Amino acid sequence: MLYQALRIRLVEERIIELYPTDKIQSPVHLSIGQETVAVGVCRSLTPRDLLFCSYRSHAFYLAKGGDLGEMFAELYGKVTGCCRGKGGSMHLAAPDVGLMGASAVVASVIPHAVGAALAAKRLGKDHLNVAVFGDGATEEGVYHESLNFAALHALPVIFVCENNGLAVHARQSARQAYRITSLAKTYGIAAVTISDGHDPVKVHRAFSAAVRRARRSGRPQLLEIMTCRYREHVGPGEDIAAGYRTAAEIDRWKARDPLILEAKRLAPDRARILAEIDAAVEFAERSPWPDKTELLADVL
Amino acid sequence: MTAILTYRDALLRTMRDALDQRPDTIIFGQGVDDHKGTFGSTLGLAREFGAGRVMDVPLAEEATTGIAIGAALNGMYPIHVHIRADFALLAMNQLVNLAAKYKYTFGGRFEVPMLVRLVVGRSWGQGAQHSQSLQSLFAHVPGLVVVAPATAGAVLDAYAWAIHRHRGPVIGIEHRLLYDLKFEVDEERPSQETGLGSRKVREGRDVTIVATSIMVLEAQRAAAHLAQVSDIDCEIIDLYSPSHPDHALILDSVKKTGRLVVADTSWQAYGVAAEICRVVCEAAPSALLAPVVTLGMQPAPCPTAKVLEDLFYPSLRDLVDALARVASGRADHGVPVPDEHSMADVYKRFKGPF
Repeated sequence: MLYQALRIRLVEERIIELYPTDKIQSPVHLSIGQETVAVGVCRSLTPRDLLFCSYRSHAFYLAKGGDLGEMFAELYGKVTGCCRGKGGSMHLAAPDVGLMGASAVVASVIPHAVGAALAAKRLGKDHLNVAVFGDGATEEGVYHESLNFAALHALPVIFVCENNGLAVHARQSARQAYRITSLAKTYGIAAVTISDGHDPVKVHRAFSAAVRRARRSGRPQLLEIMTCRYREHVGPGEDIAAGYRTAAEIDRWKARDPLILEAKRLAPDRARILAEIDAAVEFAERSPWPDKTELLADVL
Repeated sequence: MTAILTYRDALLRTMRDALDQRPDTIIFGQGVDDHKGTFGSTLGLAREFGAGRVMDVPLAEEATTGIAIGAALNGMYPIHVHIRADFALLAMNQLVNLAAKYKYTFGGRFEVPMLVRLVVGRSWGQGAQHSQSLQSLFAHVPGLVVVAPATAGAVLDAYAWAIHRHRGPVIGIEHRLLYDLKFEVDEERPSQETGLGSRKVREGRDVTIVATSIMVLEAQRAAAHLAQVSDIDCEIIDLYSPSHPDHALILDSVKKTGRLVVADTSWQAYGVAAEICRVVCEAAPSALLAPVVTLGMQPAPCPTAKVLEDLFYPSLRDLVDALARVASGRADHGVPVPDEHSMADVYKRFKGPF
């Protein structure tokens, strides 16, 4: 799993390197610091399992098995991109491996996972349906509406909240008068907090346990996974200087970050991954732009 | 063979056919399974097909619309019913940001086939939030198909197309005053299943009327009146699909008559009236022999007092007067106008609150 987490980090670090060239003309919401959550969750999933996520989805796209070349091509706006260049960083998708369309409107895909679970139940499909969202999403009305519906109809959706404590630059304490897990429990949804989001094994174990509970009970589950966004909300930079949080807060997470702690051991993997990234970037560079017919294709 | 069918009968038939012919269909919305069955349009279907396929929902329009999208992405055909069109405004995020864009944004790799039925209330003091005709709001957004069936036959055609042919989201605008009206439907007619384009419903020489929903019936009544009291001969085009009107049909008609009246069920500004004017002004401005006249709701929220409501909506009197003015080029046209000030009094065969 560390290999997968490292791969995601190196991909995003390459995005940071490329960003000043303006070859990626798309807002990027980087997952650096949160990679282990995606890897730990996706470890238990097969391509048949459907996962719905947000604009900060590079990590889940890759952890779910999305093609790296198609991702870079999408960021470059090339027709070989996973969405033919029409989605960009915020709207990645890889239906072949169950990564459903990512949305840039907070919380808006949460009901999609519930609807997919409703369909699965009616049509007798046994795949999992997972909604991934941030702590900010739990403030949206549609989150509560979705939890209620899933609980009411006993749909075994797995709700995964990646709690990095920030909505753009606003702290959770300034936004929420509730605790995420306590509130979920009032809907009769089993809810667990995992404070070690930096540890992919712990995330994986907790997620697997939630899957077992969902399969056994047929009821929705919620996981709140604590994590840390190292970078700014959107863009390639760091923004400690902005003053809304301290370097010490991030350093506490970095001190436990396995990709930092085990950098030496991961060095051989690093070389292999960088070669893969080179090839993916090369693929994006070489790929053609969408032609004019793409502009009006697939509207209806 | 001609059958007599109410608008409601046509709706109920399409809903039953959808459940019967497509095992992946589910119908859900507030009240679809109760003793009133969405004004009768889903009545008895929960008993016939089971609570799992015809289900009431929590009062959560955004989530239920998102659930419809998720279900569609995973192999179902959801029909989401809003007993008042106004409630769909709570679901605009899902309809506009997600359903409309899902196929395009993801490079054609997903489809979201679903039907959203919006019932437009009118009269009997429905007021500001139970009466809005939102066709132009949705038709503005690429990716959505909007149909506004004006007759029972149009319901059968448009909804059959939405359910059995189209692979994307369709918004159906159903005017409540139409529900009780009887229509002749040719049961053996060749299938015209489509949700796109417009339809010519009356041939005429002097004025083109482009109308939506119940205003198509008003246009027919106005044309019949004018045929009796004058030599003004109206051509009527049912816009049918506000999102995808047949431009050629409209332009050919305007080129023939040289005169255009647009009669919509909603506000004129930035709406159907404005859009039809755009189409004509861009493609055939010199075809117009007289200024266009448009009719719609007054630019205010809908009032509840009947005396104000009757002023708020255009009446048959207003429509006939507009047609006579456009046809004659004179305000003092001398054509007798009917003494009818309230469309609701004519169409309303039901007593409130529903």
